Amino acid sequence: MRSDMTLPSWAWIVMVAGLVAFVTMIVVSIRRHQGVKRSLFASPYALWMIIFTVLPVILISYYAFTDVNGAFTLDNFKNFWDSHYEMNKVIAAEGERLGVDYSAYIQRGSVNVDTLVYSLWMAFKCTLICLIVGYPAALFMADRHMKLGSTLVVLFIIPMWMNFLLRTVAWMSLLEDSGLINNFLRWLGLDSVQLMYTSNAVLLGMVYNFLPFMVFPIYTVLSKMDYRLTEASADLGCNSFQTLYKVTMPLSLPGVISGITMVFMPSVTTFFIPRVLGGGYTMMFGDLIEAKFLTEGNWNAGSALSLLMMLLILVSLSILRKVDPNGEGGGLA
Amino acid sequence: MMENPNLIELKGVSKDYDGVTVLKNIDLCVRKKEFVTLLGPSGCGKTTTLRIIGGFELASEGQVLFEGKDIAHLPPYKRAVNTVFQKYALFPHLNVHDNIAFGLKLKKVPKAEINKRVDAMLDLVNLRGYGKRHVDALSGGQQQRVAIARSLINEPEVLLLDEPLGALDLKLRKDMQLELKSMQQRLGITFIYVTHDQEEALTMSDTIVVMNEGTIQQIGDPKTIYDEPANAFVADFIGESNILRGTMIKDELVEFAGASFPCVDSGFGENAPVDVVIRPEDIMLVGEDVGQLVGTIASVLFKGVHYEMMIDTGDFTFKVHSTTMQPQGSRVGLSIVPFNIHIMKPMEEEA
Repeated sequence: MRSDMTLPSWAWIVMVAGLVAFVTMIVVSIRRHQGVKRSLFASPYALWMIIFTVLPVILISYYAFTDVNGAFTLDNFKNFWDSHYEMNKVIAAEGERLGVDYSAYIQRGSVNVDTLVYSLWMAFKCTLICLIVGYPAALFMADRHMKLGSTLVVLFIIPMWMNFLLRTVAWMSLLEDSGLINNFLRWLGLDSVQLMYTSNAVLLGMVYNFLPFMVFPIYTVLSKMDYRLTEASADLGCNSFQTLYKVTMPLSLPGVISGITMVFMPSVTTFFIPRVLGGGYTMMFGDLIEAKFLTEGNWNAGSALSLLMMLLILVSLSILRKVDPNGEGGGLA
Repeated sequence: MMENPNLIELKGVSKDYDGVTVLKNIDLCVRKKEFVTLLGPSGCGKTTTLRIIGGFELASEGQVLFEGKDIAHLPPYKRAVNTVFQKYALFPHLNVHDNIAFGLKLKKVPKAEINKRVDAMLDLVNLRGYGKRHVDALSGGQQQRVAIARSLINEPEVLLLDEPLGALDLKLRKDMQLELKSMQQRLGITFIYVTHDQEEALTMSDTIVVMNEGTIQQIGDPKTIYDEPANAFVADFIGESNILRGTMIKDELVEFAGASFPCVDSGFGENAPVDVVIRPEDIMLVGEDVGQLVGTIASVLFKGVHYEMMIDTGDFTFKVHSTTMQPQGSRVGLSIVPFNIHIMKPMEEEA
């Protein structure tokens, strides 16, 4: 386990050099133009990005490819694919030393990969449910004939004013054995149901927390859409369903893409909800990364997992970008 | 059908929005193959009338008959009418061909026939070869043609057009007016056309319906509307006119601007207050000694075809159009033949 978490000296050198280069750039540009260049106003943001985005990524990459002693290694990634990698290495070495075939004791499979697959599966389900629930909600909210629409918008926003952790914990008092729902079931004379500490409880918590991120991008696109387009489609012979399918849906695609991105990404990396509502019985990838850093204190393994996570998100974003090349949904894709 | 020549009939149609009345008791008949224009200033209810016929708004009261059957509660997709929308409302996710083919695809027309008919439509609106273009890549005039083609391909009984030329520049608008008119005559489709441009209405229509504040002011052919406006509003809205208060002394004699004039109208009673309308081109400039009125030329503007002169007679300043110019400040006589003096009942709100 790593005891001192100080940065390697070269990282400090890179940071200081970057800062010096940046300041020099600003000074030079002021000198050269005898005034402040317009792009200079972006400098606080650029500085922010360098310190809090670029450098951390460099550091994560550094940790991912080094071992505890700072030497280059790919073991962190091998560990990812094969969680028994270290143990197997010992067994194989021991077998060789003794001249015994220990291959029967070699264990295969990876907890990490299982967790990742489980996370992706959960995120997929969460995104799908958010889409199925959120699209009609957005449609309803954006309908100019619905006077309730704007009220609904506010109702969707209000929960977001409350703290994310609080919102999640609040679900406990609804779902637990002595909670509101089970008390109600008992009052009806029914058996209570195990709701807490199931993967469905986790899913519920995720959907509840991420639903607004699906609804609002779709709502924005729909409410900006010219209502005459749906009238034109009705005029040309579409009933309401055909209009939805042939005109409204294709035109709201940018919002859908944006919504999917905004829900899927935080879903994959969720780490607090499984602990509260899943009681730690179900672990997601975010929990795994958190455990590597905070419980095991293994920055190298945690960084490798984070890097893989980023790679995964990058790939899914570039796939989504193909569907919505203009980024009309105003999202992150 | 033989006994009922009316394709569309509105009977006592009214429309309220949250307690505000935008249409009051509209009665309107549209015959087959007629070019009807709903004309009026913005907010007069002409677009609402069109939207009620198209099925986008429900009338608060009254009947909408199509070939004698009440269609007031039919949704737009069940009506044999198609609409060309004000801002075209082309589908931005489809190209020109798919926009035009939209209606036929819904009717499950075979693909080969769709292609044939879309090409024929593109020819009709002079857009041959534009099928693969994206609609955003077209100019306003071209988008307008696509919108018209998209409607016409469904072979509607009636085509509704909501200020379709509003966004085009003057030259293009004039060309499209003629094109639309000839298209309508060739295809034999009924057009109901909404505009606030009186010249457009006069150029294209068989029948003009002048509307103001939710009511119909006058229905008639362009010549009647122009020459025999039913009230001061119509006279003022259609073309330019001098409108002044007058008194009907007796039948065929009216007094205004401090003089009496023989006219051709009768039946208003004796000494009845009336509105008098005289078109600027109907006032003749004559010698000071022979004029029915005498005035001083206050200003002269050259307008191309004619000069526009403002002539002050002391009681009223007349606008006069003439091809011969009189210098500013000179005194002239004004003469008006009885036939060109239009007498009408005073406007209700002023009575």
